Amino acid sequence: MAASMRLLVRRAIRLSHKNINVTAAGLSGRSGSCWEPSSCRCFSDAAEDRSTHFGFETVPETEKAKRVYKVFENVAQKYDTMNDAMSLGIHRLWKDTLLHVMHPQPGVRLLDVAGGTGDIAFRFLEYIRSQQERQKRRAARSVQTPSWQDISSSYSTEDEVGPQESRAVVCDINKEMLKMGKQKADSLGVSAGLSWVVGDAEELPFDDDQFDIYTIAFGIRNVTHIDQALQEALRVLKPGGRFMCLEFSKVTNPLLARLYDAYSFQMIPVLGEVIAGDWKSYQYLVESIRKFPDQEEFKQMIEDAGFYSVQYYNLTGGIVALHSGFKL
Amino acid sequence: MAALLRGLRAGRALRGLGSVVAAPTAPTRQCSSLRRGFHRTAPRLQDEPKSDKPPTSSSSTTYHEHYQAHSAEQDPAAASQEDSPSGPAAEEASRPNTSYQDQSGEQGEEYETEEQLQARILTAALEFVPLHGWSMEAIASGAETLGLSSASTGMFYNGAGDLVLHFITQCNSQLTEILAEQHKQVHLGQAEPKKTADFLRDAVETRLRMHIPYIDSWPQAMSILLLPHNIPNSLKHLSTLVDDIWYYAGDRSTDMDWYTKRAALTGIYNTTELVMLQDSSPDFQDTWNFLDNRIQDVVNMATTAKQVQSTGEAVVQGLMGAALTLKNLTGMNQRR
Repeated sequence: MAASMRLLVRRAIRLSHKNINVTAAGLSGRSGSCWEPSSCRCFSDAAEDRSTHFGFETVPETEKAKRVYKVFENVAQKYDTMNDAMSLGIHRLWKDTLLHVMHPQPGVRLLDVAGGTGDIAFRFLEYIRSQQERQKRRAARSVQTPSWQDISSSYSTEDEVGPQESRAVVCDINKEMLKMGKQKADSLGVSAGLSWVVGDAEELPFDDDQFDIYTIAFGIRNVTHIDQALQEALRVLKPGGRFMCLEFSKVTNPLLARLYDAYSFQMIPVLGEVIAGDWKSYQYLVESIRKFPDQEEFKQMIEDAGFYSVQYYNLTGGIVALHSGFKL
Repeated sequence: MAALLRGLRAGRALRGLGSVVAAPTAPTRQCSSLRRGFHRTAPRLQDEPKSDKPPTSSSSTTYHEHYQAHSAEQDPAAASQEDSPSGPAAEEASRPNTSYQDQSGEQGEEYETEEQLQARILTAALEFVPLHGWSMEAIASGAETLGLSSASTGMFYNGAGDLVLHFITQCNSQLTEILAEQHKQVHLGQAEPKKTADFLRDAVETRLRMHIPYIDSWPQAMSILLLPHNIPNSLKHLSTLVDDIWYYAGDRSTDMDWYTKRAALTGIYNTTELVMLQDSSPDFQDTWNFLDNRIQDVVNMATTAKQVQSTGEAVVQGLMGAALTLKNLTGMNQRR
């Protein structure tokens, strides 16, 4: 009784926190379950007066989401190819590092927001599967001459739900990207434990305390209100859950910074035009990287949202930063 | 200044109140840790002027129970059984400790700091060590009993090393509590002071008995402690342990003895630990015999050294006397 009362009080506090953020952004009250992303965004005058950055342009906040949607709609077909071309394949190493740092235990639920083509989700399922295989191999090796009891118990555990326990949910605001992801899943033959959901990072269509791990890889800089996305991450994570964010960030070494800038502004839009036929989207990509807060500032934002034990790792000299925080 | 102190006291009182509110509905395990926390704050309210050492009276009794329960192996099993039916309730109860009180992002005002939460997770993880060994799986299972997701194991960057070091720290502080209690007893005259050799023997035996519940996986733990990035920490813990034992044995030496005594005890402790790993006698009797013999060796060596020294002195005096007599006899001692 008292426990449910405390739960209600806590939910009320969280809602009041959200309401403070929400009214500041000009939106009416919300309940945190399924909402259509487009419905309530245009309803307030206050939001239209506020502007934000879209690359190096300044646009009204209401515009940004629409334009980001169009960018990714255009690039969805060639997204993976372009990733490989632009980063010279290093993006795979970044995503692998994310998984290694995450070190998921079998049985956890992952939410990959802005997951698009599902790179993180596939790697997650692969990691869990190989871990379970390794555990089974270790168990088999340690029992070289099994007694009849061990053999009979191994028969009974065969239909235990093992790999199905870990589930990955890929959530993206863009249907085209999700379509590409589903196609990739079908071609790879991965289907168990994977679901595809359309949703907005600022208003996730999930209940509270659902997921063990929340990841957002190279997506959070496209979100209009980053602090709202962080609040939502805090909401849908279970207590003890982990928030992990891979994002382009400030390069620490000045020489590398010069090379990186030259490469970004000269090479990447050209590659975009040649491979995907879209200069402007990749111009936006490069500019949005520059507009994103640096490692320390983003760490501060994560701490402000209510995460503890926040840490970041610089990958490839600071080109990419992996931020991690816990909901305790 | 006075207002600041008053404000601090009020803040601590509120924290104490918060723990009282959360305590009645919490299940037993959370209750014991909460009560321990409450006990920690309550004496602090009273003893603010003398803030040298935290009061050990209440916590030492719980440590005593914990220590006895460890050797009986009853408590962990019973506590984990109590925990599983009250799992969801534990989740509800553990959350007010951390996130409910504080949403402002400031870590100082939290009822429980991150370090305390990590310590709680590691303590809960110790139960699963016989099953999973000293590994991340044990920590994940420990976190789950506290109602936290297993993703929280990411907080432990050293993984299994964190778990082993936490266990070592816990054992060392238990030993220090016990030795301090004995010291107090002797001081109050309720117990007789032991001879140094007996004292050392009892202290090392007490400390090594704490390994008994985990003795099957202890080789794995020792190998983890020998990893290069863990060596500084494990050496530090070993040296503080040996230093504490000698301190309570009454050693106040300030010369070379300080080093030799601690080196000797370190050698005794390490070798006895290794013997314990492959000991299969009932209640590790062989290990305690080995320990007796080693301490006897050290005592014998010390006595022998003293004897040699005094014999040497006596011989030298004798020689000097003989030389003087000879000088007298030959008349060389006269001054002309």
